[in-house]
Amino acid sequence: MNSRMDVVGHSVERPDAFDKVTGGKGYPVNVRLPGMLHAKMLRSPYPHARIVRIDASRAEQLPGVKAVLLPKDVPQIKFCPVFFVPAEAPSMVLDFDVMNGEIVRYVGQPVAAVAATTAAIAEAALELIDVEYEALPAVFDPEEAMQPGAPQLHPNSPNNIAVNPSFVAGDIEQGFADADFIFEGVYETQRVHTCYMEPRVCVVDMDRQDNITIHVTTQHLFGTREKLAFALGLPESKVKVVKAPYIGGGFGGKLELTAMEPVAALLSKKTGRPVRLEQTRQEDFITTTRNPIKVYLKTGVKKDGSFTARYAKSILDCGAHATHGAEVINVHGAFGLFFNYHAPHAKWEGFTVYTNNMIGGGYRGYGAPQGSFAVESQIDEICTKLGLDPIEMRLKNARKQGEPHPFNPAFTLSTYGLPECLRQGAEKIGWTAAIAAPKSEGAKKRGFGLAVHPVWVSGCMGFPDIYEHSGAMIKLNRDGTADLATASMDIGSGQIVTLCQIAAEELGLPAGAVRMSSQSDTDNVPFDAPTHASRVTYSSGNAVKTAAAAAKKRLFEVAATMMEVSPDDLEVAKGVVSVKGAPGKSVTVAEVARRAESPFVQMTPEGPKPTTIEEKGTIIGMASLSPKSNPTPCAAQFVEVEVDTETGQVSVLRAVYAHDIGRVINPAAAEGQIEGGFQQGMGYALMEEIQFDPETGACLTSDFLDYKIPTAVEMPRQMDSIFIETNEPTGPFGAKSIGECCVITPAPAIANAIYNAIGVRFTQLPITPEKILRGLGKI
Amino acid sequence: MALQNLKDFHRPDAIEDVLALLGKDEETLILAGGTFLRGLEARGLLSGVEALVDIRRVGLDKVVADNNGIKAGAAVTFTRLRGVVARQQEAWLGGLADALDRPPVQVRNVATVGGCIAAACPFFDVPTALLALDAELTIRSSDGERHLPLPELFDGLFANTLEPGEFITEVSLPRPPGNAAGAFLKLEATANDLAIVNVATQLSIDANRVCTRACVALGGGVADTAVRSAAAETILVGSRLDAAALQAAGEAVISDIDPMSDHRASAAYRRAVAKVMTRRALERAVARLA
Repeated sequence: MNSRMDVVGHSVERPDAFDKVTGGKGYPVNVRLPGMLHAKMLRSPYPHARIVRIDASRAEQLPGVKAVLLPKDVPQIKFCPVFFVPAEAPSMVLDFDVMNGEIVRYVGQPVAAVAATTAAIAEAALELIDVEYEALPAVFDPEEAMQPGAPQLHPNSPNNIAVNPSFVAGDIEQGFADADFIFEGVYETQRVHTCYMEPRVCVVDMDRQDNITIHVTTQHLFGTREKLAFALGLPESKVKVVKAPYIGGGFGGKLELTAMEPVAALLSKKTGRPVRLEQTRQEDFITTTRNPIKVYLKTGVKKDGSFTARYAKSILDCGAHATHGAEVINVHGAFGLFFNYHAPHAKWEGFTVYTNNMIGGGYRGYGAPQGSFAVESQIDEICTKLGLDPIEMRLKNARKQGEPHPFNPAFTLSTYGLPECLRQGAEKIGWTAAIAAPKSEGAKKRGFGLAVHPVWVSGCMGFPDIYEHSGAMIKLNRDGTADLATASMDIGSGQIVTLCQIAAEELGLPAGAVRMSSQSDTDNVPFDAPTHASRVTYSSGNAVKTAAAAAKKRLFEVAATMMEVSPDDLEVAKGVVSVKGAPGKSVTVAEVARRAESPFVQMTPEGPKPTTIEEKGTIIGMASLSPKSNPTPCAAQFVEVEVDTETGQVSVLRAVYAHDIGRVINPAAAEGQIEGGFQQGMGYALMEEIQFDPETGACLTSDFLDYKIPTAVEMPRQMDSIFIETNEPTGPFGAKSIGECCVITPAPAIANAIYNAIGVRFTQLPITPEKILRGLGKI
Repeated sequence: MALQNLKDFHRPDAIEDVLALLGKDEETLILAGGTFLRGLEARGLLSGVEALVDIRRVGLDKVVADNNGIKAGAAVTFTRLRGVVARQQEAWLGGLADALDRPPVQVRNVATVGGCIAAACPFFDVPTALLALDAELTIRSSDGERHLPLPELFDGLFANTLEPGEFITEVSLPRPPGNAAGAFLKLEATANDLAIVNVATQLSIDANRVCTRACVALGGGVADTAVRSAAAETILVGSRLDAAALQAAGEAVISDIDPMSDHRASAAYRRAVAKVMTRRALERAVARLA
């Protein structure tokens, strides 16, 4: 572990905090351009239909309407819109198109769009577009969709199977033959939305030479550039994506191109004016969600709790297009189901299946929450049946620090603090006493539960096709501050402050002396992979640290000339460059930066002083690199719940969350991530679900009147975040990451605690009060 | 946007101006706090509305509390009414106080007592509490004033019995006789949810602690409107409000409700919890009796 540092490891105030709490002018939703028009999209009311005819002549005549966009105006190009892979990635499915002119495959598929002087006029014009459809049979259940005779959604996908990954280790039949007990279960998860606060919105200006400038809510500048250019058949450099200082949340929900961006661009070109397109909350609900997955899980166990065989089959409902579903299934299988526990024999079959439901998407955890719910629930079932201790059972089967990485033999699990997470978490919540305590005689029963989970920091190393490198540029200012520019987006989780802290620590500047540029775009900063997969602190952090080191090298060269010493003898801290072992001999970083940028003769207190060519030139550092490895943060979560057995309501009274995330760069920001992750995971466990009409496929969830997420009132009265600070050798200052680990375990931990409270096992999320009363036989 | 036929927005300064605007040949909606406007609009329930008339400037924001009870102007906000109720420190207002505390503070600061009644939304909290308090409404039109017991205003889901040209100006809550106490409970998914089931209870006892008067009101999708449970009230009156009576009253509400199934809960669930919540709301009121 590094010794105590000046900036890293401190809860430095977020530079964006003041602006956000006073209105947040940096959000894309606030962008307004002169002469801007407003666009709206007409969406299909049918889950599956042929488009026979579209007549927009009445809409075009409505006063205020400036352009109508129909499928014939949109390039008919098929591609994968997911930002973190190439548009034609061989491992993905190239089935997405912006506005299909022949067929609709879900309720809500865009079929036309209008740009008008106001959003209200654009909306009114939609009603004047006449579309004639020929309805086709629809299928909403993925297992029905896999049956012979089901409606076929895409021509080259028999039985509606978009992708069908699998793996085998050992001999699964032998594994079950070796088992003393076999456990089988079916675990189902629902469709949920990330509920980012800022809606999907863009403002696009496209000129007649096809130059595009776009302001947009995105988790990936360069992904937006690549996919938008691809969708329109343009060279990438035609598209400039402006980096918003921050966006109002993402959580994986803004990780692919949708119709919104190209539609706004084409309307802009048609009208010669900038076009703004903002989605309503209901449009956001039907644009991207976490994919529901049904897991058939079968585990062979010895009497002592060791696994002999693990088999799983996963059915993922990707909706009308595969998009993320082709990758979520892999992450789900590899990390959600099989990463954490050894078994000599293992087999997995994954199915990403088309239905006439809405398209799924990225969501924090990316397939792991669905898998963890199955695995961590079933382990508790095994412990209950065999009378095993759930902590010992997990430790017995879990991977250990120093073992080879299960999915990439090139790496080892260099840091894996899971045993310590379990030990400290159990101690904090008083686990042993808690589970031994007698249950109350009253209507309200308390229970305790736990779950553990690792994640892979970045989707990068080991998975094919996934972009993974980062860039950073740092420039020292004459007042002793530094400007940092990266393409890495802050999606609300504190990337700005974290990266600035890493740069400040490396450069020896005080916290707050490094500022993130608010004026970047894809023209002037190097490529960065998206803000996704828990990768920014680790991957972008490494690039920022390397860029800062390059700037520091130059800083020392100039300072060495000024001080007539060797650069190797210098060190820098708190904005002062000094000679090692000679504390009195120093210059400030500001003095060095001024020297480097001064005219050939610099005025000093001692009079005019000539500078040399060797000293001159702005002190900058740049880096563009891929991280060396792919470390694995992990967590153990403990919860206490209270179940009202008369109403079925569940209150989470307490949560203890122990994480190994390597070195913690900013403790307050990390705690915020953990508490927010718990809140999302708790909503997934207990209440959240987008509902659809089973006959028509129409989304019944319009807004937050219908869709409930936990508020501050429902959050546990006590939440303890424990950090097990392992020192990841490949991370910046020993850091791994925090983004996703914390969202994965709440559902199984809460389900296990409910079982502990009332003795009923729930295998379908969300565990609503109604399901609890049914489980108790009260309705 | 589902207010696509909206042509006018008025903010009159006098009741006479409101009446004149209501007399125009336009589909007019009275607006007070406006907290439910967006929810109704997003669901296409206001597509015919041509004019909105904001009544917050016409002097309907006064509350009078005395020994006879409370009279609140229709445009009195929840926060203002809550303040008056708090100063009374009377057990009979316990249920109203509970109900006024349930909506999120952003709603409480603008939502009005008249508006929540006129909306005829069965999922609201305050109307259920008012139903248990035998609230009476004052209704104005260009023909003058009339008085209406609250149950007679409700005419189904989001529908009231007001005639064209009429609007609510005041809500009167008579002080119940003797030793009285009230309570309100709400079952909700989160603290900013509408009610799955809510229950308001109002009890009076004599010197021998025998129940002389009982009001049990339920809302939150137990029917198209908030309803009173005569069956429960009959069991309570004359009882000593012991555990068996409260349990029996809870069971009895089943005969007076006809719950709906929606995305919040099924009818079966609402039936099951209506019994429990009624019993608990009665226990809460009993505990508050002097």
